[in-house]
Amino acid sequence: MILHPAILALLSTSLLTSFMVLYAGWYGARIIRTWDIKSGSELQLSLERRTYLISTLVSYTLVFQLLSLFLFIYTADNLHTLFSGAMCAAGTLNVNRYGYPLLVMKIINFLLAGLWLIINHADTRGYDYPLIKVKYALLLAIAPLVLVELFFQISYFAGLEPDVITSCCGSLFSIDKPGIGGDLASLPSKPMVAAFYAGMAATLASGLYFYFKGKGGYLFSSMSCLAFSIAAASLISFICLYFYELPSHHCPFCILQKEYGYAGYALYATLLGGGVAGMGTGALMPWRNRGSMAHIIPHLQQRLTATTIFLYLLFTLIVVYRIVFSSFRISG
Amino acid sequence: MNRSLERHRNIIDFALSSLLRRKGKNISLLMVYTLIVFLVAAIMFFTHALKREASLILQDAPDMVVQRMVAGRHDPIPINYGKRIAAIRGVSAVRPRVWGYYYEPVVGANYTMMTSDSQAQGTVTIGSGVARTLRLTDGDLMTFRNYNGVPTLFQVQKIMPYESELVAADLVVTAESDLRELFNFPRGHATDLAVTVGNPRELTTVAAKIVLLLPDTRPILRSEILRTYDSIFDWRGGMMIVMLSIAVLSFVIFAWDKATGLSAEERKEIGILKSLGWETTDVLLLKFWEGTVISLSAFLVGVILAYGHVFFFSASLFEHALKGWAILYPQFKLVPVVDGGQLAILFFLTVVPYAVATIIPSWRAATLDPDAAMRS
Amino acid sequence: MIELAHVTKSFNAGRSNQFTAVSDVSLAIRPGRVTVLKGPSGSGKTTLLTLIGCMARPTSGRIVLRGLRPACLATGNETGDVEITSLPERFLTGIRRTTFGFIFQHFNLVKGISVLENVMLPAYPIGVNHRVFRNKALGLLELFNISRHASAPIDWLSGGEMQRVAIARSLINDPHVIIADEPTAHLDTRLSREFMEIIGSFKGEGKTILIASHDPIVFESPLADAVVEMRDGGITGKTDEP
Repeated sequence: MILHPAILALLSTSLLTSFMVLYAGWYGARIIRTWDIKSGSELQLSLERRTYLISTLVSYTLVFQLLSLFLFIYTADNLHTLFSGAMCAAGTLNVNRYGYPLLVMKIINFLLAGLWLIINHADTRGYDYPLIKVKYALLLAIAPLVLVELFFQISYFAGLEPDVITSCCGSLFSIDKPGIGGDLASLPSKPMVAAFYAGMAATLASGLYFYFKGKGGYLFSSMSCLAFSIAAASLISFICLYFYELPSHHCPFCILQKEYGYAGYALYATLLGGGVAGMGTGALMPWRNRGSMAHIIPHLQQRLTATTIFLYLLFTLIVVYRIVFSSFRISG
Repeated sequence: MNRSLERHRNIIDFALSSLLRRKGKNISLLMVYTLIVFLVAAIMFFTHALKREASLILQDAPDMVVQRMVAGRHDPIPINYGKRIAAIRGVSAVRPRVWGYYYEPVVGANYTMMTSDSQAQGTVTIGSGVARTLRLTDGDLMTFRNYNGVPTLFQVQKIMPYESELVAADLVVTAESDLRELFNFPRGHATDLAVTVGNPRELTTVAAKIVLLLPDTRPILRSEILRTYDSIFDWRGGMMIVMLSIAVLSFVIFAWDKATGLSAEERKEIGILKSLGWETTDVLLLKFWEGTVISLSAFLVGVILAYGHVFFFSASLFEHALKGWAILYPQFKLVPVVDGGQLAILFFLTVVPYAVATIIPSWRAATLDPDAAMRS
Repeated sequence: MIELAHVTKSFNAGRSNQFTAVSDVSLAIRPGRVTVLKGPSGSGKTTLLTLIGCMARPTSGRIVLRGLRPACLATGNETGDVEITSLPERFLTGIRRTTFGFIFQHFNLVKGISVLENVMLPAYPIGVNHRVFRNKALGLLELFNISRHASAPIDWLSGGEMQRVAIARSLINDPHVIIADEPTAHLDTRLSREFMEIIGSFKGEGKTILIASHDPIVFESPLADAVVEMRDGGITGKTDEP
């Protein structure tokens, strides 16, 4: 275990987050069992008061998840000097088998927390809290995932012994390597480029249609999720190449470094934000026309759709800008 | 959007006035908070700056240094080993280095002796630490006792500038022939060989080949040295932070206590606000902004104080724990280097625990019954 | 119109110190009139006021506000009837902010801030432009002849002046209904009569007024349209002037 301040920071934050989510989940379970909006009993009143606490806890969790996601990659990057063979975060993450799963868990938990907050926002606008049981059921599903992330985090950092030989991104994300990194890197670029633009265009089109006509919410949400996955794969497959101006450097982490203008942060922030908003739109669809939500959800969904479109456009803009102004060209 | 902004603005307004109304409590909180941020930040900045210095210095070090081992200990290496190494594919240059340590019993200090082709015989260039300890200036004479105990005089040609303290405080540079004579260095041998390799990716391969070719040698890679330095600094910095964690924990308990301990006055005030139409969310926001103002102030002041302490006063408070012990203590001013990552880590170590500690007390305050206000 | 049907409010339900403050109260409060709740302390007047004024939820029973159209609800209920009994706090507060103005027995002004800030407080969380409601507050202070104290801390004011600040504060959000709990408890006869005059002017503007008081100057005033007698949490008598 390396006593690096960043690792201490990440671990302590993870512990705090887990505690917050567990606490929230515990009360969530109580709420699911005993909630009755029509009752004026003291139990009901105290449950209503408790919902404020839970919302606050999950909001803080979301913010910490996002910040610690970036801090985690930054730390992994910084620590690469301690491992022979590692040139950037990709190598550090590969030191033991918990590195990449941890990264994936962090992203998933961030997306889920964002989704929860969107549902919570809709729910509190309704005078009869129609989504309350759904909301807390989701929270109960998130709680174990946060614990899994904590477990991965502790295992990963405990297993970080300096001087362990690992691979650098060159070999992890190289075309002839087996494994998902290599598979993503070796996706043929022309079809990937086409898929990327198609995904973005489909999201834009379905989003505008949904925004103005109010129809096709599920379609839009699915398109945005699809575009999210395609964009993520594209980052590894061809977008990075334009930043590094090297045909073989497929690493998705190096773009977070200073040399590339910290472009990685902008790309990941817009993609994650747009993804959450798109998912949220889809998640709210089943209650769109029910009771108190009929006046709330459509408007909220419009705002979310606009957010996704805006962020995805920003993402695309950054990518296109880089492609146009880079002196690198993909051939074949 | 506008309404939301206005609402925030109004609430921040009230939060500020609220903080000022309870100066005593908030100032004591602010002071402790600032102290914590200062301590953690100072340690982090110091460690980080030292690591950076080390890596910068090592940039000029050779990619690989080959030493000879006899009975498990470092021994002078025959120079013709160098010729055999130079023949390995991938090696672009091999340079024999002659250097050593000289113990001066008068002051109890160890000098690092190095050689330079540009140093005239009979003269030395010395580091500022040496000059300071022996109170030497240009042109003065220095005595060295050779391997036989016979004193030899050298004239101080130049004293290295103050800025080079960190690398060269205890350095003495002589001509190679002088050094060999002083130590009776075996002819045809050098202390070690500095090897430069064309392609950095080949370093490990070349090192392996050297060991195969010359089994009594030990190649040391610069990256390994860097890694060791980093580990040590990380470890030392981490140790201090772990020790500080007790302080952070106390601070968190203190903050929690302050947040929970609402005076009757404060309770009444919140009751009044709620009876006037402030929702629980509004009061939560009020508490959030109060906490944020305090956090930001403490963070800013703490960071500035730490920056000043580390980079202007050279971290006088705890340099001993972090730098180690020596007679020839380099006095140096660290190059200020603080980046976003450092601040982020600092944020997570100080502001996040505070924020989490105050969530529940804030919520308890915000969910006070307005009913009570009607009755009191 | 505010309708209460079999409203009960208990505290510490199910425990040994269970206390029922309001018991099976049914009442209709007509708009544009002054209704006075009369009774000794402990009769449940204050609790009833908090229930009507959307400050607390009844343990059982229903309270309906008729003729209101609170924008925050967006129920699509175009008749403008709102049952507040099962509304969550957020909506109760939303209704309360815009519909009710409170004058408390002990004024409940915040110490340590100025008179003007006290008057502006209820408008802070609504998100109206700061300058707009500041001017409104100044106007209200002017109306009650206390604008010269605008930046003075509350602590410097006399009882009567504080009363007027409390009244000004209750008006900052243009409420339809004014609720006052024992407003004349700390006032001498002259100031009490002045208070009733101010109430008269509110009535003239068409506001609905609800006062809890055991002061004869209040319940025997010609302005009082309906007097409801309460004892031990229940209604014991009602006099109504048509």
